[in-house]
Amino acid sequence: MLGVSRKKATRAQSEAADPSESPEAQLKPSATVGGAISLANVEAFYGTFRAVNNVSLEVQPRAVTALIGPSGCGKSTLLRTINRMHETLPGANVKGSITLDGIDLYDSAVDAVRVRRVIGMVFQKPNPFPTMSIYENVAAGLRLLGRTPKSELDGVVEASLRRAALWDEVKEKLKQPGTSLSGGQQQRLCIARAVAVQPRVLLMDEPCSALDPVATLKIEDLIRELAAEYTIVIVTHNMQQASRVSDSTAFFSMDENRAGYLVETGATAAIFTSPKESLTESYVAGRFG
Amino acid sequence: MSKAAVSVREALLEPGARDLRRARTDWIMRRVVEGAAFLAVLPLFALVIFVTLRALPWLSPEFFFNNPLDSEPGVLNAIIGSLQMSALALLITGPIGVAGGVYLSEFASARVASIGEIVIDILLGIPSIVAGLFAFLLLVPILGFSGWAGSLALGVLTLPIVMRTTQEVMRLVPPSIREASLALGIPVWRTTLLVTLRTAAPGVLTGLVLAASRALGETAPLIMTAKGTNASNFLDFGTTMNAMPLVIFRYAEAADDRTIGQAWATALVLMAIALAMNVIVRWRTVDSRVA
Amino acid sequence: MGTLDVHQPRSGSADPLFRRLLGAAAAGGGLLLLVITGRLIASTLPLWAIQSPLSFISTTAWITGIEQADGTTLEVYGAAAALFGTAATSLIAVLFAAPIGILGAIYLVEFAPKRIAIPLTFLVELIAAIPSVVFGLWALGDLSLRIRDSIEWWIASTVGRFIPWLAEDPGSPAADSIFRAGFVLAIMILPMIVAVSREFLRSVPISLREGYIGMGATKWEAIRDVVVPTARVGLIGAVLLALGRAIGETVAVTMVIGNAEGIPTSLFLPGNSVAAKIASNIGEAGTEVQIAALVALGLALFMLSFVISLIVRLSLRRFTTIKAIS
Repeated sequence: MLGVSRKKATRAQSEAADPSESPEAQLKPSATVGGAISLANVEAFYGTFRAVNNVSLEVQPRAVTALIGPSGCGKSTLLRTINRMHETLPGANVKGSITLDGIDLYDSAVDAVRVRRVIGMVFQKPNPFPTMSIYENVAAGLRLLGRTPKSELDGVVEASLRRAALWDEVKEKLKQPGTSLSGGQQQRLCIARAVAVQPRVLLMDEPCSALDPVATLKIEDLIRELAAEYTIVIVTHNMQQASRVSDSTAFFSMDENRAGYLVETGATAAIFTSPKESLTESYVAGRFG
Repeated sequence: MSKAAVSVREALLEPGARDLRRARTDWIMRRVVEGAAFLAVLPLFALVIFVTLRALPWLSPEFFFNNPLDSEPGVLNAIIGSLQMSALALLITGPIGVAGGVYLSEFASARVASIGEIVIDILLGIPSIVAGLFAFLLLVPILGFSGWAGSLALGVLTLPIVMRTTQEVMRLVPPSIREASLALGIPVWRTTLLVTLRTAAPGVLTGLVLAASRALGETAPLIMTAKGTNASNFLDFGTTMNAMPLVIFRYAEAADDRTIGQAWATALVLMAIALAMNVIVRWRTVDSRVA
Repeated sequence: MGTLDVHQPRSGSADPLFRRLLGAAAAGGGLLLLVITGRLIASTLPLWAIQSPLSFISTTAWITGIEQADGTTLEVYGAAAALFGTAATSLIAVLFAAPIGILGAIYLVEFAPKRIAIPLTFLVELIAAIPSVVFGLWALGDLSLRIRDSIEWWIASTVGRFIPWLAEDPGSPAADSIFRAGFVLAIMILPMIVAVSREFLRSVPISLREGYIGMGATKWEAIRDVVVPTARVGLIGAVLLALGRAIGETVAVTMVIGNAEGIPTSLFLPGNSVAAKIASNIGEAGTEVQIAALVALGLALFMLSFVISLIVRLSLRRFTTIKAIS
């Protein structure tokens, strides 16, 4: 019964959203929402090979958590277990528990498709859909969710592009193909389309590694802005980026079986200035990795 | 904005009607494409099984070793004729095709290579009946209705196959292999033959076998050149020659059971040879080509 | 630049000779094409002396020479019936083979686990190795009747009541039909559509699929909205390639189409195709004009398949085409 009334309350709340509000405000997720992720004893396998070993981690809502460490430590693999992308690979599977606001994401009652609507992802290499225009790229996720009247769609597209700091650059050319933009713009387009479906969480897998420094900085600024409303988990090789952008940091390394494990986690400032583990200290000092 | 603004709980645990429909559509389409793949492979089994069943009663030593004019007719002259004409076609077009393919891959400028590709594309696309017509017009006046004309008509079809496969396979050989050889002072011609070609040899061989398989199975070019005959003429290319596809074609609509039965039996033999050749040759490339 | 042009020939003086020999072989291919084209065109000339190309294409009658009462010989060569048959059978073939082939390729690329995809792909492509005369025999002896009694009958008794060109006399269904020839052709070109479609579907980068699924799309939605549109040009090319192959297919069609004159009133009646007509009539063609007419048919076929392969080549220019040789 409690579930029913909570559902009614949420719906009443969202229906009360004032259509005369600015597009950006309309995009704002409801205030009751959390977005806290909890990983407990998570292991990820490719067939029989264990790539991630026994990771337990708390991800704070409305904050940026960075996953750092040398390559091959399973950071991306771990990231993909959060939105259940890991299991799309043949033979891949996950053990342990991953919850979002207390709900087990791997519960049999939960469809992976719906997990990915609530948890969005931005990939390493920008991947706008080549056969769709900029507008259609952003609208794509929303179109999947149902018939939205054009006016509403226009509003969401504009709001999402504004949120991704891209609106001014593309508002005159929404009909052009998504691939006609520069690398940095394409990545912001990917961010726009991810936020268009109003997720709670944004997972970012080395989002700037394929971009030039100027574009990188723009996106880092964007990430800090987005953290006000979304839970963000970002995998990055760039330690400076991690220290610039994140609130907490988790440092991973590889054990003798080539499985990734969590060495240390904590507030970003602490990890970088006074880490507890010597391995962490070596890594952030640049002595390896 | 009520559509998108839902709580995490609702999104994850309480699917709406539309979400259920989408999941169901996904399930249905999975079954549809599975069905399509099944339909795509079904004819192979149906064909092989049916031909085998119809042909089995007619397979006998007489079938294989007698000629059509013997008291117990067989199709020996067709089996031999097919092998002879295909072998001759390959003997002539094989070397030329390989040589041409090597040239296009190794020595031709970009412009010549693309002209060559277009030419080979057109040659590959010649309908087999047109190849037969050409042989009928040009070769039959000179060579008569003969095994020579038949072989050359088959050659028109096999030449582009050998050329194209050779060219493509040679192109796949990494440049470093050629360069290593040349750096040792080995002349170009030796490099090409003993190093590059040798590396590409399995692929070239594949091309030759595929061409041979094609030559064995073609009917249309032979209808108006070698024409088929009941006489046995081992190695006599100067006169009309029989071939397995011709036997099948001619016997198919016969009135008596035995002739029709021999058509099926010949079809089984031809199909078995073609499948065997293709299986052997494609077997090795199977793993590398799948996603 | 050819792969070896950067390197100067070494002291081996055999090199220039070598290159020239190989070049001659390659040129032989071009020479062959020229000779074929030239000979074909030349042999059609006796026909154009008595008839115009336009009339050749548009007339349905094919009369090889009937003595008239007044001593003149009536000779009219019309390719229209044969062209219709070729077009009809090829289009029917593509109509059935394209959806099944593309959907099957989607299964092989997107859904099938490796241990199923590998053998299944192998088997589908193996069909292309079977000589067409064997298909013709199978059709003649078994398949044709099955098609007639199932699909043809079903279409004729439902839609055929309203659409005359899909009608069939239930009392005496024809022994051969255009539809059946088209259906057999469909089976024969299916492997080519599957093979080429597979290559183009595989060429769509995984990152695109992941991008869509990462937004909460189902696998089928990713295929429908991202993979297929991205591969669309290639898929159309696959169908066109198969169409070109269907047009030139001779023997199986000849055995099932019935070698009838004129354009039939229904697809379920026998007809003729260009290749079949040439194959059937070449035995009795005696005079220069009669032969010229058949060669003209062949030339038309050649030009048709040439145009199709040209279209395919132009539209797929951006992609590396891996053409199935068979």
